[in-house]
Amino acid sequence: MPPKASFTREDGLYHSFCGLVSVGWLYQKIKDSFFLILGTHTCAHLLQNTLGVMIFARPRFAVSLLEEGDLSSSQPQIADQIDEIKREHRPSVIFLLSSCTPEVMKVEFEGLAHSVSTPEVPVLFVPASGLDYTFAQSEDSVLQALLPFCPVAPPDDRRVVFLGSVNDAIADDFALEAARLGIPVAGFLPANHFHELPPIGPGTVIAPLQPFLPKVANQLVNERECRVLSSLFPFGPDGCRAFWEDLAAEFGLTVDLSEREAAAWERISAHTELLRGKKVFFAADTLLELPLARFLRAAGAEVLECSTPYINRRFHSRELKALEGVRLVEQANFERQLRSIADEQADLVISNIITANPLIGRGVVAKWGTEFIFSPIHGWAGVNTLVGLFTRALRRHAQLDPLGLDPVWTAGVMPSAPREVIPLQRQ
Amino acid sequence: MRLAYWMYEGTAHHGVGRIMNSMRGVHAVFHAPQGDDYVTTIFTMLERTPAFPAMTTSVVSGTDLARGTIRLPETLRQVEASRHPELIVVVASCSTILLQENLEIAARSSGVACDVLVYDANPYRMAETSAADGLFTELVKKYASAQPLTTQPSVNILGPSSLGFHARHDLIALRRMLQVLGVAVNVVAPWGASVDDLRRLPAAWLTIAPYRELGGRAAEYLEAQFGTTALREAPIGVQPTLRWLDALVAGLNTVAARLGAPAVTLPPLTAFSLDGMSAPSNVPWFARTADMESFAGKSAFVFGDATHTVGVVKFLADELGMPIAGAGTYLLKEADWVREQLEGYVSDEQFLATDEFQTVAARMAELRPELVCGTQMERHSARRYDLNCMVIAPPTHIENHLLAYRPFLGFDGADVIADEVYTTCTLGMEKHLIDLFGDAGLEHPDEPVEQPVAAAPPNGAEPHPQATLAGPALAVAEMATPTTVAAPTVLAPVWRHDAEAMLKKVPFFVRGRVRTNVEKYARERGYAEITAEVLLAAKEAIGA
Ligand code: SF4
Repeated sequence: MPPKASFTREDGLYHSFCGLVSVGWLYQKIKDSFFLILGTHTCAHLLQNTLGVMIFARPRFAVSLLEEGDLSSSQPQIADQIDEIKREHRPSVIFLLSSCTPEVMKVEFEGLAHSVSTPEVPVLFVPASGLDYTFAQSEDSVLQALLPFCPVAPPDDRRVVFLGSVNDAIADDFALEAARLGIPVAGFLPANHFHELPPIGPGTVIAPLQPFLPKVANQLVNERECRVLSSLFPFGPDGCRAFWEDLAAEFGLTVDLSEREAAAWERISAHTELLRGKKVFFAADTLLELPLARFLRAAGAEVLECSTPYINRRFHSRELKALEGVRLVEQANFERQLRSIADEQADLVISNIITANPLIGRGVVAKWGTEFIFSPIHGWAGVNTLVGLFTRALRRHAQLDPLGLDPVWTAGVMPSAPREVIPLQRQ
Repeated sequence: MRLAYWMYEGTAHHGVGRIMNSMRGVHAVFHAPQGDDYVTTIFTMLERTPAFPAMTTSVVSGTDLARGTIRLPETLRQVEASRHPELIVVVASCSTILLQENLEIAARSSGVACDVLVYDANPYRMAETSAADGLFTELVKKYASAQPLTTQPSVNILGPSSLGFHARHDLIALRRMLQVLGVAVNVVAPWGASVDDLRRLPAAWLTIAPYRELGGRAAEYLEAQFGTTALREAPIGVQPTLRWLDALVAGLNTVAARLGAPAVTLPPLTAFSLDGMSAPSNVPWFARTADMESFAGKSAFVFGDATHTVGVVKFLADELGMPIAGAGTYLLKEADWVREQLEGYVSDEQFLATDEFQTVAARMAELRPELVCGTQMERHSARRYDLNCMVIAPPTHIENHLLAYRPFLGFDGADVIADEVYTTCTLGMEKHLIDLFGDAGLEHPDEPVEQPVAAAPPNGAEPHPQATLAGPALAVAEMATPTTVAAPTVLAPVWRHDAEAMLKKVPFFVRGRVRTNVEKYARERGYAEITAEVLLAAKEAIGA
């Protein structure tokens, strides 16, 4: 029975992106893939402004652009474009992502994907539109689409499959650590190539590495009858210890990692010293917020609030338990957050890229949350990077000459800026 | 339907955001799904805004659609309560416009006290530029009201806007020139303007609207409605600036005569320089110097928006004497105007109007000009084809948002553009000369492959290899130009006087490399001395 963690749900008037942004890391993770978004000028503009403008190394993603004339036909023709993609990029698999406009047009995506799919190059439908998906959530959709292509493992194949895209270095770390503990590894979902997907069956233990994959975890239980590890996510010494001890237990192994954990804390003590007692406010949107807040709290910080787009009582149950007593908010209202940040005098705000500069402009130390998505913060090897991301902002801010909130230093920078700065921080 | 990778223009709602983030006391509300909020990032990161941009996405979710709820009225109430704007502009998105909702009624039901304008921007017919200009014109029509002219000569400056190309710098350049003339600025809009400022527009004697993309239509409206003369030329380059000043003075003096006020006079041109006693621009002399001989015959290809494409083509041709290999614009609605303006500079075959970057890249590859003036897209294509490129028009990259004063307009702008042309081409020329002498002995690390690398994490840790999601600001995809490494020094042959003298004639910036190559040539052939003969033979052998 999932615990009755208490969190509030607000009206969702916060700043964020849509599910299309997951393409930014997934097309690189799955090296023989192509991501085709059936979308509009808006989706193309979003991709080019969030995925790193103008990456010219022939990106393996594109937008099949719906223009005015295409709005009347209920089933767009994408066959020619699929051919063009196959010709130019030779992918092993094409993901067809939905977006808002075709959703409103009620395009039947399953059928559309099916109509252009071949056994050689499957075209898989991935729901990702901004109407229903935010940020990293669409990785969940991609993995669900991949699942049917994972070979079925026999019941006696008792091995672990790590769930969630991580880079090769992290993957190696996890494989190595598992070997060290005597845990047999079947592979990673997703794998680097479409044809390297791991076998999954009733004997498989799924170990989630990313906290934004509740749906595929559920589907794995329903369709392959495997077990999904319920533990902390492997971030920070506390998270890693729980993760590996619990995973070992799934294989009947009893391991005690208390010393390992203590040593890891010891190694980052210079950082935790700085974090101790600091008031941290999570106003980010990456869906990593729960485990990050849990780690910070274990590191001695005071977490004033942890807002995150979605909380899943079952998938996040252990994190929720570890966060008991912390104010948790789903679908936050940004203006309310601003008031809370001011009232409670946060020392550090984990925000998103959209709001970081304006928050800093109000005298807050703000850390751009997306960096956590892009930094190797998993596992024992990631502990240092993880804690460093939090402390760097604090250190750098402390090191710079105090600017105060004298508006002279921002005069003329922003034409619409109110003439008065409304500080969130008391000076 | 077509396959799109990169777009020149942003969306209609981005255009609306640009106007709203330019003005004070106004706010944009996007009736749109969550992801459409991405446009806010472009402002906060590229412009490094110290405050929250005046825009809010009133989120529309799949659940809302299923339940038939519309959150717009509540969002309007929240925006009014927290931001107290005088005006809220509501705009639908590419998806919500298909819902055929009546946003007027929804907005009215919110009961907010401020003005609410539901701006009808069909994202399938309008992109960034026309949506921005359309909205700005509509606002000017809505608010500008008849009133007496200012007693002193004054002008409006229409067009500078948030995310406008070097707009802040251009505005400084314009203000500087006006100050020298003793002409007051009545209103700048949309940059920094409030609704009240828009009301005051007709008090000016004349309107300056240098950008074809934004402000021109509003200036024409003011002219038609209130008789405010519109000066629509863009003072890009020295000669156009001189003509522009004459037109400005003449326009103001027509009003002065009518009012019986004293005439505005043009001071000595040195008054326009930064110290008030030097040449207002160094371009006319610079263009005639020996150094610039090397530009004779260097061809340029120019592609961008309307204003900058036209201005830069004329500048390169008329003021630097460069041949124009081709030019064009991605603003298809302005293509005819650009074409007409460039009559005599480029032929029909040399002109290109397209919004597909691949077509532009193909043209560049075919022409192989010595200089490409383009947008971010051309800069990347130029890297791919090993061409020299400078950015003269949006879309931009964070590296086009530099701190120092870099206008494109006026005398100051002429110097900035000329410097940029010179440094872009000189570095390129160096490379051509190296090629000319063969690059034996010079290690050219391969052009770095442009990987989608996000900004390196500030802690210096390895970036997550899978990491690319970066703000517009953070995509530093290129590396520095590879540096050349000198050949290993073995016993160097001795240079004789005559050869040394000849070597001095080689431009200084490649002299070192020529020396290395010639020495290598001499060593390979066992010459202990380098005489004039050996040098000539080396040049011949290497292909000079
Ligand atoms: S929110 Fe919808 S319309 Fe906007 S970029 Fe995302 S998928 Fe495209």
